[in-house]
Amino acid sequence: MKNAQPTQEGKAVTTKTVFSRETSISNSISADAGIVWALLTNAADYPRWNSTVVSIKGEIKQGQTIELKSTLDEKRTFKLRVKEFEAEKRLVWGDAQGNRTYSLSKKEAGGVRFSMTEKIGGPLFPLFAGMIPSFDESFEQFAADLKKEAETIQKSRK
Amino acid sequence: MISDELSTEFESFQGELKSFVLRMTASVQDAEDIVQETYLKARSKINTFRGESSLKTWVFSIASNLAKDLLKSKKRWPETVTDICREEALGNRQFFQEAMRIRETSPQGKFEIKEHIAFCFTCVSKSLPLEQHLVLLLKEVYGFKVKEIAQIINNTEAMVKYYMHVSRSRMIEVFDHRCSLINKEGICHQCTELNGIFNPKQKAQEEVAKIEMARAATDKSKEELFDLRMKILQELDPFESGAAELQLHHLEHNRRVMEKFLEENEQGRPIQRK
Repeated sequence: MKNAQPTQEGKAVTTKTVFSRETSISNSISADAGIVWALLTNAADYPRWNSTVVSIKGEIKQGQTIELKSTLDEKRTFKLRVKEFEAEKRLVWGDAQGNRTYSLSKKEAGGVRFSMTEKIGGPLFPLFAGMIPSFDESFEQFAADLKKEAETIQKSRK
Repeated sequence: MISDELSTEFESFQGELKSFVLRMTASVQDAEDIVQETYLKARSKINTFRGESSLKTWVFSIASNLAKDLLKSKKRWPETVTDICREEALGNRQFFQEAMRIRETSPQGKFEIKEHIAFCFTCVSKSLPLEQHLVLLLKEVYGFKVKEIAQIINNTEAMVKYYMHVSRSRMIEVFDHRCSLINKEGICHQCTELNGIFNPKQKAQEEVAKIEMARAATDKSKEELFDLRMKILQELDPFESGAAELQLHHLEHNRRVMEKFLEENEQGRPIQRK
């Protein structure tokens, strides 16, 4: 299977197979990696800037479990474990059904390239695949919100 | 740098340092203790000062660490601190008797709305997470630069900018919701209410009109109104102003109420009304 490779700036791409689905997005952010990382790892602050998140409880730290409520399904709380936490580079959280990976790479000219991928799947995936909404719109909103907030903070007074 | 130079420079910003620690701790006793301890620590470690920052920045970092050590085990105050404390004060005759005595006898006992605005911010900003509170005060009230704050809190400039932004946004939102001076639908009128008690002959609207932030409420953005609120704090020394004794008495009351409130809430019991 080919990985979902986002080609257009800030536009989500989804690829599907019988047993999995993967959505990815990528965009450039004119802000320090530290600012983007702070936004991605401060759980309680998400609802302030991210219109796709209702709430995140817990601490986004290696090995911790967080409880996430998304606008995709506000009634449902996802219990997710932080599986990888490499400051200003890579963050992965997920459960048995799948993982969400955030990556940051610093650009030579300044700013960062932000990428986000979520892969869900498994042997039972075909049974519930039809019930899972598309992530595309939510991903695009997430990436746009992150870019807007990080660039606003970057421009704040010295 | 030798100790004598430290003493001279320390003296030049000691007032700012003490007011900063007071606004962090909301306790006169803690502010005095921390300032004294900061001086002793700076004196004993002056040989390690390499001049990578200004002496003032270095000393503020010592004081910030001492304040953090004191506060990190304590719970943060709720945003509704002034509502909770108002309820308690209304049932506390002793508090008002002492306030009236200060009002009548102390040269630092007059009540002014702008002084109460600064006092109110000191209480409400204690609802911010500790690090955000620290950064907000250092930046908005004491005028440190991002780079200097990064040195003071030993963190990156990116994190300082993030804390600054989040704490400002939060306080703008809280005051926009609460403060009737900047929002007609604001739920808190405590400053004008207290003005009526302490200055019964004054007309509250005339007093409010003296406050630039209140005059600008309909024309300026929330951001600009917050800057005007910060200007009030910048211009007031809580230990030296004409209302210092009265406001410090009020602050001590609120701190005690909050300590009791947080302790009782931690134990799952409601606060006892007098």
